[in-house]
Amino acid sequence: MRKLPYILPVLLALLVAGCGKQESDLPVNTRLGGEFTLTDHNGEPFSQAQLKGKVSILFFGYTHCPDICPAVLARVAQVYRQLQEAGEAGQVQPVFITFDPERDTAEHLKEYLPWFKADIIGLTGSLAEIREVATQYGVVFIKDQAEQDYLFTHSDYIYLLDDQGRVRKLYPADFTIDEVVTDAKSLL
Amino acid sequence: MPKACFNALLAGAVLALAVPAHAELTFSDPWLRAVPPVSPTMAGYATLNNTGEDTVIITGVSTPVAGHTMLHDVETAADGSRRMVHLHHLAIPAGESLVLAPGNRHLMLMKLTQVPAPGDSVEVCFHLNGGQDACAAFPVKRASQSDG
Repeated sequence: MRKLPYILPVLLALLVAGCGKQESDLPVNTRLGGEFTLTDHNGEPFSQAQLKGKVSILFFGYTHCPDICPAVLARVAQVYRQLQEAGEAGQVQPVFITFDPERDTAEHLKEYLPWFKADIIGLTGSLAEIREVATQYGVVFIKDQAEQDYLFTHSDYIYLLDDQGRVRKLYPADFTIDEVVTDAKSLL
Repeated sequence: MPKACFNALLAGAVLALAVPAHAELTFSDPWLRAVPPVSPTMAGYATLNNTGEDTVIITGVSTPVAGHTMLHDVETAADGSRRMVHLHHLAIPAGESLVLAPGNRHLMLMKLTQVPAPGDSVEVCFHLNGGQDACAAFPVKRASQSDG
């Protein structure tokens, strides 16, 4: 009985932890990601630090891409809308990084992205800046010069980042919407 | 023979020749993915069915809303990156179907002269060997989860 004063605080701490935020099972990917600064669709500098405090869905692409990129944008928008219906969209930020700064200017991204109704932040920059960020995320993109209206060979993973900006999971372009919604919720 | 009758007979003969070619290629679930009004490109999908007795070879595609339309395939490299490959010809053996689907073979509409909105319908014509066209109305729609 004399041990009770010592045990009680421990039990109380465990109880508080149990009632608090559920820790996600998603492992932290320490090989990918990191700090970056690009230019957002308003023409303002945008650093990765600005994403901290929110869960981010980050992906790369270009607006002249006819098939994969609009499909990914549409699917991310569906994820966002599901989170919106659950009242949690305010804590989640979709981010689209172009690797075609020549055509995807800030002005163009500002016109293009709102159509998806998912509050997507569009990021562009110099080719060198974008290539550096792409390397951080293991993204490959190669401009196909053979075509007059050039296309890109590119990787098309989607990255789920936690509220500290750490990569927690990667998805293929044809990801399951419910899976991303569930994972995003686990990080909130 | 009066010229009007000759013209009518000629038109009938042309139609008679054209109808079987049209009948050989039919379309299931055609659609164009809706894109933002400032988008320079869009993609189209359908299942193409060769209901005839001969192989159909598609030699080109056109639509009034695009300055340039191509058939593309998607190739995946060992590192996971994907690239578009222009298909100059596409053969569909007799009795077989070919699926144009997101992330796979698809239509690519470039140099859009107007960007059709969801709910619009756009005529897309496939140019076949032999000179005939097989055309279909492709409705424009936002993709659902199952559509990709």
